Amino acid sequence: MSTQDTNRLELLQGTLDLLILRTLIFGAQHGQGIARAIQQTSGRELLVEHGALYPALQRLEDRGWISARWGTSATNRKARFYTLTAAGRKQLAKERTKWKRLVAAIDRILGPELAGG
Amino acid sequence: MWQSGRRPSDFSAEIDAHIELEAERLRQEGLTEAEAAVAARRKFGNVTRAEERFYESGRWLWWDHLTQDIRFSLRNLANAPAFTAVAVLTLALGIGATTVIFSAVYAALLKPLPFANPGRLVAVWKQNPSHGWTWNNVTPAELVAWRDESGAFDDMAAFAPTSCVLTGGGEPEDDPCEQVSSNLFPLLGVSPIRGRVFSADEGRPDSARVVILSYGLWQRRFGGDDRIIGRVIEVNNLMYSVVGVMPEKLPHSYAPPDLSAPALWVAGLTLSPTRFWNDYVGIGRLKAGMSVTAAARRMDAVSARLTGQYAVLTGWNPQVMSLRREVSGDIRPALAVLMGAVFFVLLIACGNVANLLLARGVARAGEFTMRGALGATRGRVVRQLLAESLLLALAGGVAGIVVAYAGCKSLIAAAPPVLLNSAPGLATGVGDLRVLVFALATTLATTVLFGLTPALQGARPRTASARLDAGRPSLRRVPIPPARSTLIVSEVALAVIVLVGAGLMVRTLAGLNRADRGFSAAQVLTLRVSLTGDQYATPLAQEQFLERAVAGIKALPGVDAVSVSRGLPVTGWAGLLFITYDHPNPPSGNWPDANYVVVGPDYFRVMGIPLRRGRTFDGRDIEDAPKVVIVNEHLARTYWPGQNPIGKLLRVGPPASPWRSVAGVVGDVLTRGPEVGRLSEMYLPYQQYPWLMVPEHMVVHTAPGVAPASVAHAVTDAIHSADPRVPVADIEPMERIVRESAGLQRLVMNLLLAFAGLALVLSALGIFGVLAYTVSQRTREISVRAALGAPPRALLHLVCRDAALLTGAGLGIGLAAAFLLTRLMAGLLYGVNPADPLTFGAATVILGCTSLLAAFLPARQAIVADPGLALRHE
Repeated sequence: MSTQDTNRLELLQGTLDLLILRTLIFGAQHGQGIARAIQQTSGRELLVEHGALYPALQRLEDRGWISARWGTSATNRKARFYTLTAAGRKQLAKERTKWKRLVAAIDRILGPELAGG
Repeated sequence: MWQSGRRPSDFSAEIDAHIELEAERLRQEGLTEAEAAVAARRKFGNVTRAEERFYESGRWLWWDHLTQDIRFSLRNLANAPAFTAVAVLTLALGIGATTVIFSAVYAALLKPLPFANPGRLVAVWKQNPSHGWTWNNVTPAELVAWRDESGAFDDMAAFAPTSCVLTGGGEPEDDPCEQVSSNLFPLLGVSPIRGRVFSADEGRPDSARVVILSYGLWQRRFGGDDRIIGRVIEVNNLMYSVVGVMPEKLPHSYAPPDLSAPALWVAGLTLSPTRFWNDYVGIGRLKAGMSVTAAARRMDAVSARLTGQYAVLTGWNPQVMSLRREVSGDIRPALAVLMGAVFFVLLIACGNVANLLLARGVARAGEFTMRGALGATRGRVVRQLLAESLLLALAGGVAGIVVAYAGCKSLIAAAPPVLLNSAPGLATGVGDLRVLVFALATTLATTVLFGLTPALQGARPRTASARLDAGRPSLRRVPIPPARSTLIVSEVALAVIVLVGAGLMVRTLAGLNRADRGFSAAQVLTLRVSLTGDQYATPLAQEQFLERAVAGIKALPGVDAVSVSRGLPVTGWAGLLFITYDHPNPPSGNWPDANYVVVGPDYFRVMGIPLRRGRTFDGRDIEDAPKVVIVNEHLARTYWPGQNPIGKLLRVGPPASPWRSVAGVVGDVLTRGPEVGRLSEMYLPYQQYPWLMVPEHMVVHTAPGVAPASVAHAVTDAIHSADPRVPVADIEPMERIVRESAGLQRLVMNLLLAFAGLALVLSALGIFGVLAYTVSQRTREISVRAALGAPPRALLHLVCRDAALLTGAGLGIGLAAAFLLTRLMAGLLYGVNPADPLTFGAATVILGCTSLLAAFLPARQAIVADPGLALRHE
């Protein structure tokens, strides 16, 4: 890990799937593109371990939420492009609601920020 | 998790593409080529780890493990060729034998008959309890009454087996045929491949003469003529039109198994309420939901009324059974015995394989411990052993199918006709898939269960205190594990049961062969001629032909004596009622009856039946001479006890028939076999044209040294020179007829002998295996004892004691079980008690010797081994 990565947040278990699905809503993208998009969209706050990305993509593909085919990147390189399927779109909506509820629930428990906390 | 068909190489390619894309981006941000490549790779993290995670989530892991397991198992099995060969062979023989016998049982007893709604078909007979007559033919009058009045039947049909002589165009031939009621085929639900079945009109006596051909006759005699329908053919010298041809595979399973399948069917059997000829076999179709017992009850009520109305039906009750049962005939007990025996053999085979697997498991304990130590999980080891067991079972199964296929072929070749007729499906080979599946499942369960036992024990983490040398000889006293002793005891017990069964059948066959049947079959040739048509309409014409034929045959070289008869010992039984002059009014329903044989002069000489009193027939006994009869000793003793039977009078047939005086008494012939015993018989001279019967058999006694079969051609030619239009059928040596009468017992004996041999070899192998194992475990102990000066005798005793104990226990249990089980086969036995001490003794000795021999070989090996060498080997 490079030093610039050390202060970034590690992803919570299971959130990577949600982020991948969300990223793909803008259209087909390859793995490296997805990783970069997550990092940039999060204001470079989130750390995506590239090595963990691909088993996750494979898992989503197996479940039928995304589909994949080999294509050519903008820089004319071979890459595997992922697209959101209809089932994936539904799943995204579901995961999104779940996430929002989770965040709200945890927020309520944590309460207002305590002075000096 | 296995739905992904993606290959690991594709996954790796994607990762490579990712790293290149990342490096490209980094280069655009200003890094050098080398820096970018390193940074991209670093940023990705552990590539191998990602690949592993992909791999473990996919089916490829599962597939790889499977192929690995199979490869490894194949190597393991190939490395132990003796074990593999014995195990596969044992499984194959067990599966094969079971499949063959179960196929026969299924085809003969269980398989639904190939007719429409076969469960509702019944065979209809009648019985006369006061005479002890059962399964008699019925009259049309009874059939009509049962059908119309009982309310139990949708319909009832009948047929009468007879023979038909085909003439006109080609050799005359005499074929089995059936006269049938016109509703028989619709009732069974079978249709012809050409033309039609008989119409209702054609059941009337005055209707046109029509015939339906079997496929075989159509092909053989008419060359498969396409325009056969409507063709006129000559049957029994009358002209019949062909209206249909039946399919090749039309099963004859609507008839009892001892009737041969007909070559043709003739219409004209009229179901008339006023016909009282006892010539017909009835078949009924029960109304839906009607049980056989309920139908029988209703028929009884109808018969009670009939008996009051017609004196001729007095004493007769209906007898009805499902057609399926009827077709199984008398082979039920034989098949039950075989099924039991083969099931025992299968159990022994399973026991043996279990023993082999257990022994192998013990020998491999070290291997399992080692693999555990190297990090193999318990599941992984179990899975690998499972693969090995499955492979073994699979190989055994495939070999078993081959054995079953070959076995079915030889069974069909060796089977007596009665079995083939009962089991029509058997002729087509391994009858039923379910049978094979059953045998496969049994052995599969055994191999898997016992193949895994050592694995489950061996895979236990603490196994053998992690001793890598487990399975090697030690100085400790090693008892035979209880599982293995139990298996050996069971094997010996099962083997002794099969052995006793086989022994009883051997004694039965010997008894049947030894039995004095009251005649001599040696040197006798039999054949059948049918005299039909206008030229033989008179008894005189028949007599003239028979005299010409007899003279012609007698003149042949190699022929000693010739005669004619109607009815032959063993196959022919024609029980008829008679009265004696001394007791002309026997109580109703208790009339005397006897086998009614019509013979020519010299019949007793040809058949070697001894004359006890009086004389045999000769030229005096012609039509105009006083009517005479010859009776057997049993009849004379029964009806004229303590009196001289010569000159006594008796009468057969309608009251107008003449009284006949007894001219002679001959020895008893056991026509219905030694099992049935002595019965009354009477002989009438054919030249006095007795009531009802025309001779149809010719019997030829050949000179010493001349085989009866060798004169068959010359005899046929002699008959044809008397009249070329008379067909000659069923040319058979009398000895073969006698031998075939015990065909079922012989088949059972041969199969039981084969099974007993198999059981013996398998259980010996089992004992050998266990002893070889204990000896190998005790090499060191034995060597130490030998080095300390123990005599070989003591060492032998040490090793053989285990074998003797196990065999003794097995023998005890087996003999006790055999004592209980052999009673069930009493119906198959003749001349031997089911608890025959000789048979039980012989089985004990044979099995005892075999197991001691099996124990001696490994014991001897241990004793002759050099003690020093064995000790250094440690």
